[in-house]
Amino acid sequence: MTAIRPTRSSRVLRDIAPVLAGAAAIVAWRAIIALGNYPPYILPPPEQVLGRFVSAWGDGTIAPHAGRTLVEVVLGFGLGAGLALIVGYALARLPLAERVLSPYIVAAQATPILALAPLLALWFGPGILAKVIICALIVFFPVAISTMVGIRAVDARLLELARSLRATRRQVVLTLEIPAALPSIFGGLRVGVTLAVVGAIVGEWAGADRGLGLLVNLARGSLFDIPLLFATLLTIALLGIVLYALVVLVERILVRPR
Amino acid sequence: MPRRALALARAIPTLLLILIVAGCAVQPGGATASSGPAGSSPPTALTVGLGYIPSVQFAPFYLADQAGYYRDAGLAVTFQNKIDPDLVTLVGQGAIDIGVADGTSVIPAVSQGIPIRYVATIYGTYPSIVFAKQSSGIRSAADLRGKKLGIPGKYGSSWIMLQALLDSVHLKPDDLTIVEYPDFGQGVAVQQGAVDAATGFANNEPVQLQLTGATPVILHVDDVIALPGPGLIASATTLDAKHNAVAGFVSATLRAMTEIAADPTKGLDAAIKSVPELASQRDTQLAILNATIATWAPPGGDRTRYGAIDRAGWQASIGYLTKLGLVPNPVTVDGLVRDVSGLPAK
Repeated sequence: MTAIRPTRSSRVLRDIAPVLAGAAAIVAWRAIIALGNYPPYILPPPEQVLGRFVSAWGDGTIAPHAGRTLVEVVLGFGLGAGLALIVGYALARLPLAERVLSPYIVAAQATPILALAPLLALWFGPGILAKVIICALIVFFPVAISTMVGIRAVDARLLELARSLRATRRQVVLTLEIPAALPSIFGGLRVGVTLAVVGAIVGEWAGADRGLGLLVNLARGSLFDIPLLFATLLTIALLGIVLYALVVLVERILVRPR
Repeated sequence: MPRRALALARAIPTLLLILIVAGCAVQPGGATASSGPAGSSPPTALTVGLGYIPSVQFAPFYLADQAGYYRDAGLAVTFQNKIDPDLVTLVGQGAIDIGVADGTSVIPAVSQGIPIRYVATIYGTYPSIVFAKQSSGIRSAADLRGKKLGIPGKYGSSWIMLQALLDSVHLKPDDLTIVEYPDFGQGVAVQQGAVDAATGFANNEPVQLQLTGATPVILHVDDVIALPGPGLIASATTLDAKHNAVAGFVSATLRAMTEIAADPTKGLDAAIKSVPELASQRDTQLAILNATIATWAPPGGDRTRYGAIDRAGWQASIGYLTKLGLVPNPVTVDGLVRDVSGLPAK
């Protein structure tokens, strides 16, 4: 069976598709404002949001908040994903661990992070620690489950072969199980990194002295600067996209095409 | 699939539909509606957002509702008694007819194009204050130099008030150590001695401090600048369409405020009737209510001026908030307030 080679026009279309989708969204945005006759304090036009985005980055309104959120996301994601890799492996290979831990992991995932955030802020204070823990909690489940699924999916015949070659446990884990499970693990990491951004914002809503979540609250309830609110949301979205792209980049480096 | 399981699976969508319909039929949390007038003409419906959890500080609204003052004014009032940071915007777009909002929020909101008007003052004395223990040695704003002060954040009415207070004695925020308590724990921080002073509300943190046996020192901003405190707001559209109803609501609320000021237990009983949980702390709630009553009148304590709008204070506040960079587009007092209290302008 031969693969169908994309034509030049289809490649061009593929490359400009995201731009076209963005343009369509902006046209729809404008149309909604025109049809609903919405004032800027309810739905500002895209050009006003873009202008505020540029000015707020230029005058230093957004930068310190974005920096704090980024630190929370990176630390929380690192902590949550690191623990999830270990626990996910244990869940896959130790039946007792699965039996003992699974109910608690599912219960933690089922508890709304919005309800936990104020409690964590109370326990760990309004500083960065509570946000890092919230990020880690929200990242943990998808990464742990994807790790467990990935490790379990490793071909049993390959494991048998490794044992017959007298490979040590360490060699089996590092050269067979983890590389084989990487595609699944990276699936979880992709979900986890975007959830980490959500976790940081939720944590900042529960109480923060800095961060994009705080800026959202300030823009809507204190400054009544709705274009700034949209500009902050745009920053949050861009942060998520950039972090997601970084995970995809690392995945492309580590996971060889099959 | 067994027959019973199949029947259950078929019933699940129906059950979900019933739950959704039942959920939609229930009024939103915290909403209570007063009955309409007994007369023949239908009452005018008014939705009022109090913007905060049910509390004894809303006693005038509870009393006016229970005593039928709103009904007598031809109103069918529905309260949205919950925390709502978007209350100003919701009033502006007409989703809520009347709301309680801080005057210092109204100025930036109108400047940003939100079409609201401040129609009556509830807190004639600005309730946001700086407080400290007597033992801190703080007696005036000048004494804050070099001290450690707690604040929820560098925004909102507390931050505006603090800057005005410091400005009056030629101090800047950098002249003291400001500790942020985003979880609003600054009151406890004063009690525990973690900070020398903190921002708070006259009817909250100092009362709590006093109940622990300490004597609070309170610094009011009103001596420096007459910032407009929390009051009633309505959208320009609502004021045009329901002017008499808004005026009737204001009048009935002011009547209840006057009665409660004369007999605070009347307000406490009304609050407990609306919020039964308050009954377990009757003494504390009465102390909070008394502190609240003290802020209703303008500085000087003239109870005949409940609800009045201090236009000179608003003018000064526009200038001050402009100086702080909170007024991106120019505003005028006429564009901010529309007095429906019927009191002579000051």
